[in-house]
Amino acid sequence: MESQPRIGVYVCHCGTNIAAMVDVEQVAEFAATLPHVVVARDYLYMCSDPGQTLIKQDIQEQQLTRVVVAACSPSMHEPTFRGATREGGINPYFMQMINIREQCSWVHTDREKATQKAKALVASAVAKAALLEPLEDREVGVTPGAVVIGGGVAGMIAALDVADAGFPVYLVEKSDHLGGHVADLNRVFPTLESAKELIEPLIKRVQTHPHVTVLLNSQVTGLEGYVGNFELQVTNSKSEGPNPKLSVGSIIIATGYDIFDPRRKPELGYGQYPNVITSLEMEHRLATGDLTVDGRSPQNVAFIQCVGSRDAQVGNLYCSRVCCMYTAKQSRLVRELLPQARVTVFFIDVRVFGKGGEEFYDETRAKRVRYRRGSVSEIYQRDGRVVLVGEDTLLSRPIEFEADLVVLAVGMEPRADTATLSTLFKLPRSADGFFMESHPKLRPVDTVVDGVFLAGCCQGPKDIPDTVAQAKAAASSALIPLILGTVPVESATAVVDADLCAGCGMCVDVCPFGAPALDPLWGVSRVNAVLCKGCGACAAACPSKAIQMQRFTPEQIMAQVDALME
Amino acid sequence: MKTVIPVENGDTLVAVRGFLKRLLEAGVVDAVLVPMETPAGAVTPALVSDSRLLDAANPLAPVMGLNAARVVGPVSIREPRGKIAAVLRPCELRALVELVKLKQASLDDMVTIGVDCLGTYDVPVYEVMRADDGVDVAAYLASAQSGELAPQDGYAFRDACQMCEKPHVSALSSGERLGGVEAVVTLELFGADLSAGIPVTLPDELAEKLGLTDPSPGPSPARRREIIEKVIAARTQVRDARFAEMDRRLEQEGIEGVFAACVRCHNCMTVCPICYCKTCLFKSPTFDHEPLQYMNWAHRKGAYRLPADTMLFHLTRLNHIVLSCVGCGMCTSACPAELPVGRVFRTIGQQVQAVFDYVPGGNVEEPLPLITFREDEWMEVGEE
Repeated sequence: MESQPRIGVYVCHCGTNIAAMVDVEQVAEFAATLPHVVVARDYLYMCSDPGQTLIKQDIQEQQLTRVVVAACSPSMHEPTFRGATREGGINPYFMQMINIREQCSWVHTDREKATQKAKALVASAVAKAALLEPLEDREVGVTPGAVVIGGGVAGMIAALDVADAGFPVYLVEKSDHLGGHVADLNRVFPTLESAKELIEPLIKRVQTHPHVTVLLNSQVTGLEGYVGNFELQVTNSKSEGPNPKLSVGSIIIATGYDIFDPRRKPELGYGQYPNVITSLEMEHRLATGDLTVDGRSPQNVAFIQCVGSRDAQVGNLYCSRVCCMYTAKQSRLVRELLPQARVTVFFIDVRVFGKGGEEFYDETRAKRVRYRRGSVSEIYQRDGRVVLVGEDTLLSRPIEFEADLVVLAVGMEPRADTATLSTLFKLPRSADGFFMESHPKLRPVDTVVDGVFLAGCCQGPKDIPDTVAQAKAAASSALIPLILGTVPVESATAVVDADLCAGCGMCVDVCPFGAPALDPLWGVSRVNAVLCKGCGACAAACPSKAIQMQRFTPEQIMAQVDALME
Repeated sequence: MKTVIPVENGDTLVAVRGFLKRLLEAGVVDAVLVPMETPAGAVTPALVSDSRLLDAANPLAPVMGLNAARVVGPVSIREPRGKIAAVLRPCELRALVELVKLKQASLDDMVTIGVDCLGTYDVPVYEVMRADDGVDVAAYLASAQSGELAPQDGYAFRDACQMCEKPHVSALSSGERLGGVEAVVTLELFGADLSAGIPVTLPDELAEKLGLTDPSPGPSPARRREIIEKVIAARTQVRDARFAEMDRRLEQEGIEGVFAACVRCHNCMTVCPICYCKTCLFKSPTFDHEPLQYMNWAHRKGAYRLPADTMLFHLTRLNHIVLSCVGCGMCTSACPAELPVGRVFRTIGQQVQAVFDYVPGGNVEEPLPLITFREDEWMEVGEE
């Protein structure tokens, strides 16, 4: 039995993030008066090396048995301070974080009251820290191999990287061929090289790679397991036989995008007038070299950008990021094929940000493609030609523009089945409908589901270089558990006291991860600790607290509440 | 099938006993769970396997010392067991439905026999009545025909019964739900002359085994409906007045005022048919506080009410069971401080159940709100 706990409290300024709204010195002074607290300090950045050193030294010199860090969200720096606590020489789970940034300084405007609140929060953390139990880090073995969903550029690149590292890869493709949308393109910007020459060697490598199994006409229809040990049910639309189950350690989603259907903007006349085509149809025409409309070579060609992008009316507020560049490419190729034709691009803004993009755009304009800042609100037919009506937004003048051929630069949209996959994988989507990454800056290929990664346009519109970069990033992230051979699992899991459990099964029903199950023999709940993410939904639902969350026991929570009421 | 259990010499109880005996004798069930009368006249449920002992069965006794769903749970929950018939009142059947959803009881191989309820007395009241004036069973049963449900002169029905608007049963096999709780066999007292016969609805197969092969119309469904509606109307009026009164009290005194005299005996939890925890959290060491802790609280607040944690106990129980509360009122009956526990739970329960559009005890297929995830639920929360 340990003697009285010895607690150290560390209050972080977070630069001015906390210190500007909370009197951190005062909070530290207050913390020093709390029961069992032997040292309390404030520091500019507690997460910095010197900050962590403070904690480590105090553990050793002051024989601390518990550490309280008042700083940012634990989702940010709990691992950091657990590490410092471990290095100080005590169990890392003897560290309790309390959030005085997101839940205090950032959301208040009255410094005095915010300081009061920070003190109360620190008191609650100290009360809980005294009751903390040690836990052990846990890990499980990994099934070597990965599933990549989607056989476009993103999926193929990711599959090849994982396979080249020596792990088996299952590439699951919904259609009957590999290549995705790139297989439908003519030439790619800004190099103008043939898309065919780009994609075909890639397809060939995938098909002949000894570690890659390509499953065409296939879709993932079931998912069980967790990072390191997933089991996926795959359904083949063409075969009657039993559907394979794939056991792998990680999953890369590279399902790509759908192309905006311009029929949703009927005012542009697509589907009504043969003179109005989409940019993808233009790719085919450029590939064949036939640009005629009704047997006549067009004299006046117009491109309209941002069709289905940056458009609140159709619900797509985002920029599709590729249309400016492919429009520059297509308009330039039209100029080369039809030197006599007038080529005009109607744009909102020109965004040509990629490597070589600006230069390519300059060259396009030098080839006398006219760029006109304006929005086209309607297209109608007159004497076999079409008339574009809109506004020149530089001159604030109405536009009426006759053309023989109009190309709609259609944007990208989330795949129609994104919602289905989102439900299956429990993956959140961002407001634009694409899959959401874990963090927009720091975790761009990760998802909230450990072991599931995103590559390519399923996460948001991007061009081929960005897609390839993300695919390679996803592959390297997916390789981490495969190479390590083990994955850490949550240490603070739910535990069941079988003597208290009445077997009502509420915990089973509320768990989003399928961790608890009723033991058929004893009629009580048992938790599969590997599946448990420590969310605590079960503990909240259990009326007798027969199932409890480690680190969130009723005693600890009551102690926290009581300290907050002080 | 609808038929009538014949009553001889006006003795309804003997006819009911005969019906229950036939269940055992025909081998339909292995045991009958039914209220039994002790030689001294007290009434308590028992699991009866010997048909001769059913001469002491009295499911018509107007007394309720326990919601029998509480004892159906343990005898039914796990295989192996035999086939059981359980004679239950509507509020007991509703509680049983909730317990089945909570996996604390099983309806497999269970013949539920639901009996319309004419109102019940608390045990102490019933004891006084038996000792002083005797229980006028004939008048009590006669009230079923008229729907003029009234306690014997000088006595009062249990608080919950006075405001019970779900006193009737509905046969599983019948189309006439009338909002009543379902049972495999239903003894339909309302609207019937019980001195002549007891209308019963039961599955054809069961009727055949029991030799009740003559379909008999009994009193007209319209008559039964009319009487039930009359009873519901009268009870609803009482109920709504009490809801309004309790709302006022909760508004004025707060829930802590209403429960101020609580002695934390946990009787309400012990008798509640829904409270199914093996050990209540409030009987666990979580609520064993150090003496210094009490002193700290006393210092902090100036005065600290004892026993401690009574409000937290009631709020927690409210939180845990209010959606499943069937309003049997055993909590009120069991409270030594005579606190209106059941009225509080029914008043608040009515509102919470409405929020989730949930009817406790209605149907075993209807999932509990706690385990039902609806993405579009409570969208207005947090909005202006």
